Amino acid sequence: MHFPEICRALNCKEYNRGKDFSDVDVRNVTAGDLMSEVLVFDLEKMLLVTSLNSEQVLRTADMVDAVGVVLVNEKEPTQAMKILAGDMGITLLNTAQSMFEACAILHSLLNGDR
Amino acid sequence: MSDPNRRPVSFDSQNIPSVLTELIFRLKIKDVMSRKVITASKTESLRTIQHRMKAENITGVPIVEDKRLLGLVSMHDILTAFDEGTIDEPAERHMTRSLKVLEDDMPLSFAVNYFNKFRFGRFPVLNKDRELSGIITIRDINTTLLREVNRIVESLEDELNRNTPEGQGVNSRQFYIVAYDFENAGRASTEIKKILKGQGLDRETVRRAAVACYELEMNLVVHSTGGKMEFRMDDEKITIRSSDSGPGIPDVDKALEEGFSTANEWIRSLGFGAGMGLPNVKRVSDDFTLVSEPGRGTDARAVIRRPSAL
Repeated sequence: MHFPEICRALNCKEYNRGKDFSDVDVRNVTAGDLMSEVLVFDLEKMLLVTSLNSEQVLRTADMVDAVGVVLVNEKEPTQAMKILAGDMGITLLNTAQSMFEACAILHSLLNGDR
Repeated sequence: MSDPNRRPVSFDSQNIPSVLTELIFRLKIKDVMSRKVITASKTESLRTIQHRMKAENITGVPIVEDKRLLGLVSMHDILTAFDEGTIDEPAERHMTRSLKVLEDDMPLSFAVNYFNKFRFGRFPVLNKDRELSGIITIRDINTTLLREVNRIVESLEDELNRNTPEGQGVNSRQFYIVAYDFENAGRASTEIKKILKGQGLDRETVRRAAVACYELEMNLVVHSTGGKMEFRMDDEKITIRSSDSGPGIPDVDKALEEGFSTANEWIRSLGFGAGMGLPNVKRVSDDFTLVSEPGRGTDARAVIRRPSAL
């Protein structure tokens, strides 16, 4: 799946467009609020779904080479997060959907794509 | 304008680190003071001034005429005016007239002495033409000293990094990590990852080193009293070392168990403390050693071999 589709499906607000925003093929999704757990997965072209809005979310995403971060429950990213996302070239979005809803939508999007 | 409950500032020049003494003598009051001063005229009522203090969140307003300082209305004066029913009277009738003032060309040490000697919350600052040019508070001094000390620490760190002997093909860096500094937590790891990526290493190796580095760095921030991250890379391997001087891990084996955590709720709410940190480091490393002793500190070393060297 691609970011433009993700944005449409989740009705996302865009805070930063990472490099290759339209072209990158998002192949994996990890959801959670515990960053150490996120660091366990070695998944390529990964999207991180979380309700945590701290700079550590972006630092974690950067460590595992995630291509994007979606904040659920309409969590607003902090100014520092927006700057970091820009520096790191990571797409930063938010959605009004809950964690559960967002994951369900992404799951069907990912499967339909396959 | 005095606040009798205010305790004297504990800037005792005999007992503070020399770096601060040096700063206090080198900096001038004009480098530290606030230049934007909220003032009032002598004909304004104390009530108007009190509203201004509330709106601007300040505790003292200099009374000025043609840049000349006539007096000052402090919170204390306002309280007295409420007490005596004079709050609607003009400032000139009740302002404090005998003021202690400083000059903007004086070294900061003068201001520090004044704060020690007189229990006031602020001092007006005059320029050489005796015009009001600023105001100085303890807060201004603290902010400036912190900023300057940070700058000194940064330049010392740069110097340390430059002085590390660098052999052929060896890349190394050191970072100092501050306890509970969540704003900067992870910055060292971000830097190290950037270096590794710049070296053209494969994605898997970079990721493993980055994860080890990040977890160790977060451990320093969350659990230690502060410490040091060292990164070193040669042709064969990447070594990441974290060391701190306390408090140490009571049960090292337990700390390496997945899910075991001593983190409090506050740390968990920031996304850490899942008990995955050290097991994660061990998992991504080819070699991992952890030495710790309560009361002494912790030394962790993670080695990731470079693929060409396997």
